[in-house]
Amino acid sequence: MALLLDFFTTAALLFIVSSGLMMIYGVMKIVNFAHGAIISVGGYAAFMVARLGIPGWYGWALAFAVGFAIGALVERLIVLPLYNRPLDAILATWGLGIVLIQIITMIFGRSTQLVESPMDGTFAIFGTAYSSYRLIMIPVALVLCAAVIGLLNGTRFGIKTKAVIMNEALAESIGINASRIRFIAFSLGAGLGTLAGYLITPLSSVDPYMGVAWLINAFMLVMVAGSSFVGLFVTCLVFGTLQVLVSIYVNPVIGGMAIAVLAAITLRIRPQGFSHV
Amino acid sequence: MQQDALKVEGISCGYGRAMILNSLSLEIKQSQCVAMLGKNGMGKSTLLKALCGFLPKKQGEVYIEGKRVTHYKPHRIARLNLAYAAQEQAIFTELTVKENLSLALAHPDTFDQVFIPVGHLFPVFKERLSQKAGTLSGGEQKMLLVARCLIQRPDIIFLDEITEGLQPSVIDRIAEALDWERRSHGTAMFIIEQNIGFALRVSDRYLILKQGRIVDSGDSKAEGAAKKVYGYLTV
Amino acid sequence: MYNRTLKKALPIPALICLALIVLGPYVCSMYLVNLLIKAFFFTVAAIAVDILWGYTGYLTFGQSAFFGIGAYCAGLVFTHLGFTDGNIALALALALVLPAALSFFVGWLSFYRGASEFFPCVISLVVPIVVMQLVLSGGEFTGSSSGLTGFDTFEFDMDGWFWLSGGFMLAVAMAAHFFLQSDGGKVLVAIRDNEQRCAYLGLNPERIKILLMTVLGAVTGLAGFGYASFSGVVAPELTGFQFGTELIMWVALSGRATLWGPVLGTLLINVATGYLSSSIPFVWQLILGLSFILVIILLPKGLIPLIFRQLGKASPMAPELQAAQISAPYSGAHALDMQKVAKSYGSLSVLSDITLTGDQGELIGIIGPNGAGKTTLMRCMSDGTARTSGLVSLCGHDIGKAAPQKCVGFGLGRKFQNANIFQTLTVAQCLRMARFIVEKPSFLQESSVLKLPQYVLDVLKVTGLDGKLSAVASDLSHGEQQALELTMVLALEPKVVLLDEPTAGLTLPERRGIGKIFSDLAHKYSLCCLLVEHDLDFVKEVATRIVVLHHGTIVMQGTPEEVVNSELVQTIYAGARQE
Repeated sequence: MALLLDFFTTAALLFIVSSGLMMIYGVMKIVNFAHGAIISVGGYAAFMVARLGIPGWYGWALAFAVGFAIGALVERLIVLPLYNRPLDAILATWGLGIVLIQIITMIFGRSTQLVESPMDGTFAIFGTAYSSYRLIMIPVALVLCAAVIGLLNGTRFGIKTKAVIMNEALAESIGINASRIRFIAFSLGAGLGTLAGYLITPLSSVDPYMGVAWLINAFMLVMVAGSSFVGLFVTCLVFGTLQVLVSIYVNPVIGGMAIAVLAAITLRIRPQGFSHV
Repeated sequence: MQQDALKVEGISCGYGRAMILNSLSLEIKQSQCVAMLGKNGMGKSTLLKALCGFLPKKQGEVYIEGKRVTHYKPHRIARLNLAYAAQEQAIFTELTVKENLSLALAHPDTFDQVFIPVGHLFPVFKERLSQKAGTLSGGEQKMLLVARCLIQRPDIIFLDEITEGLQPSVIDRIAEALDWERRSHGTAMFIIEQNIGFALRVSDRYLILKQGRIVDSGDSKAEGAAKKVYGYLTV
Repeated sequence: MYNRTLKKALPIPALICLALIVLGPYVCSMYLVNLLIKAFFFTVAAIAVDILWGYTGYLTFGQSAFFGIGAYCAGLVFTHLGFTDGNIALALALALVLPAALSFFVGWLSFYRGASEFFPCVISLVVPIVVMQLVLSGGEFTGSSSGLTGFDTFEFDMDGWFWLSGGFMLAVAMAAHFFLQSDGGKVLVAIRDNEQRCAYLGLNPERIKILLMTVLGAVTGLAGFGYASFSGVVAPELTGFQFGTELIMWVALSGRATLWGPVLGTLLINVATGYLSSSIPFVWQLILGLSFILVIILLPKGLIPLIFRQLGKASPMAPELQAAQISAPYSGAHALDMQKVAKSYGSLSVLSDITLTGDQGELIGIIGPNGAGKTTLMRCMSDGTARTSGLVSLCGHDIGKAAPQKCVGFGLGRKFQNANIFQTLTVAQCLRMARFIVEKPSFLQESSVLKLPQYVLDVLKVTGLDGKLSAVASDLSHGEQQALELTMVLALEPKVVLLDEPTAGLTLPERRGIGKIFSDLAHKYSLCCLLVEHDLDFVKEVATRIVVLHHGTIVMQGTPEEVVNSELVQTIYAGARQE
């Protein structure tokens, strides 16, 4: 039972962490390498919120808003000029990640900080005691997934976004401002990134590089998922399960790189990944 | 004096260093339909792309309804009550018919209302609003394109080789729809064509484009127009 | 004294490096010498990244893995087996072979036909992570996170290490310098500019990249070996993705695709880091990060080329043109033979039941309206994977599922609709790439002679390209670029030439000149030419036979007179309804 819960909570965490990256990659076909640093920003937002004693719900909104604002700024200053040079955009966002991490380091110092979990203790489910905060990540991920899919499929913004993804020139020729859609998508993606950092913080400690550790896994999952959130959900479930299995039955260190390696192999065999599941 | 629906003053443009259009001028009056004919590779599609803002102009000016739009971005031009049907990849094949149509509307909540006349002209779509556009046949896709233009209630419509590869019956249907639109709304139109019969039927004036220049023009309904145009398009 | 030839062989940055290496120990402080020795080893890795990314266009985050493996080869062997002559040889051999083998494997994994642009980049991220995790999980064997220290190593003094490491770095840089300047070395830039064109010149871009990676993996491994032997410390960070991205940062800041830029830049940045990271640690990283972003956005060519303006520019040499011996024309049955070829995407049929033959000496015009399938037809002739069914043979070879480069080997030449050339190479270099499979170029120097078949020389003359041999292709006019692609295709000495709208964008006099050349190709040199054209006037002048394509099938073929005068063609072209 605990194993099953491990599968689901791992997948939930992976989904939370990679959804922001997915939002940006799906719309702009640009990989935001600053995502790791943005997750760290979220982590520090949680740290500040906890220290200032702001109630949790405002914290979520605050974390999202900070990320959204950073994303908006970055899109205009860094991503927009590099729109026709996708590989350079990867590099520039990586440079941005370094800058963000150094700024965090200058403000908060290098050392690891701890943030108390808003939900202590365990929760008994079918007779198994399980960390309640980890458990709560499952519904959080489901809600997040539903919200993002709802946004993309159910709203006017979503249909416009899909139109831009499919055929940018055509979208513009019927009056859709593609550049604005990209701007919003990037900002949303960054906001989801800080939100993810905020959410995962109680499970780990906070340090400037905390997000970078997640970056590679998130990146690989998004590559395999293609450009659909449903695909991402499935991918997270499959690779999260595999990671847990490898960690338990083989070796935790190898488990740590299971996602990267398996995703790379998946892409070699099936270049389109899981995008058509 | 009333503004021209479209006025082009000496534009030159092309890809890279190659100039496809050389100092080209033309104007379309309110409610007028002008057809541009010419063989492949003479710059017809390039002209439309340039007018819609997809290609930078090296020289010259473009006015739509009297407004200077030479350096407007495509989506801004598209919001000027202008409907454009490109020759290739002009519909979202992964979206439904209804999504394709409503995306072009500034106020999508009016869809049911504005769809009524379009549904009359193309009854085939009434049943198929939730079908994916990519599953329509080639002719139906072209009709969808025309429907999308009409549902916008535009002041001017640009059509790029809408009849290409279509069966005569579909071409007739499209011509009827365009005639209806002109009769009931007085919409100006600029159509690029290779099909002489269709072009002369729907238009008031024709222009012949050759090597990026307009080499001849005339009244579409004049005696012998078809023969003259035919001479330019064949060998 | 320091004339152009010498400057080319030994540019100013190389002289600066040489002076630094010779004089360094006499003028630098001990601390600086120590910094520079390490920097020399890092520079070798940076050169590898520059060649892979700057020149060849493969963005790799993983070169650190090979450096780290080289370093661990030294550390592990000297720690566990001891420092003996035999073990030195063993460690050295391992430091060359293991990184090379892994590079080869990574290359094989990354580069295959139809891989997406991002895929190799993704793989290059995974490699250092995997290697680092393996090192971290190695327990006492690898020293885990603290690495290995205190192993015995070479007992050179600092000056000795300085000269050795500097000499090694300069040797690698000079070797790269001559290779990149040579005619053959331009193939890397050709791959970066246009892989498709490379394949259609009979080259195998995937194989070349894998080979390049393997060689550079070994060189980088050797640098890692040197680093570990000098410092007596190996740490897992050497293998990691952070170090891999640092290498990219150094190359980007100093100037990608300039070789000497990253050489000087890496040295400078490392020295600066050595001094500044202790006094202003976080600010220095912040400055590096910010300048990295700014350089990427505003100065993609990097900073060092601002000082040395010659760096990274195409060498403006115009070789002397000579006529080459032309291989014998194909003498078998049909040069081109297509039987019942069809192509469909799912249920959508683009081509069906195409049976078409072409003989040497024929000039076949293929006409038809947009979307009739003309370009698809060309693709089916030149790429074995393009058709859904049917048989295609070129000069008696069944092409099966052969890749374009194989088809080129069978005697095919294909000119695309848009000028498909190498944008940053000069006209002469483009032509030399086209001769690659006919006459292997030198990998050491730039030849002053360029041998081309007579008909290529004719085209160069008619289009005036013979006077622009040293011009960079992207600076040519549209018409000249079209002509350049045509000469490149013809330089292959093909037996079957596919020409997709070769006259688009040409002026009328140029069209006439080209028309005459096409006639010559078919009639004088017995090539089989297939010409897709919109301009029926042009086709009927030059073609010996015209094939009319409509809705993916051949609806008619015959002499130009028959076709031009047929009711059917008039109908298709003018769109009048069939009565």
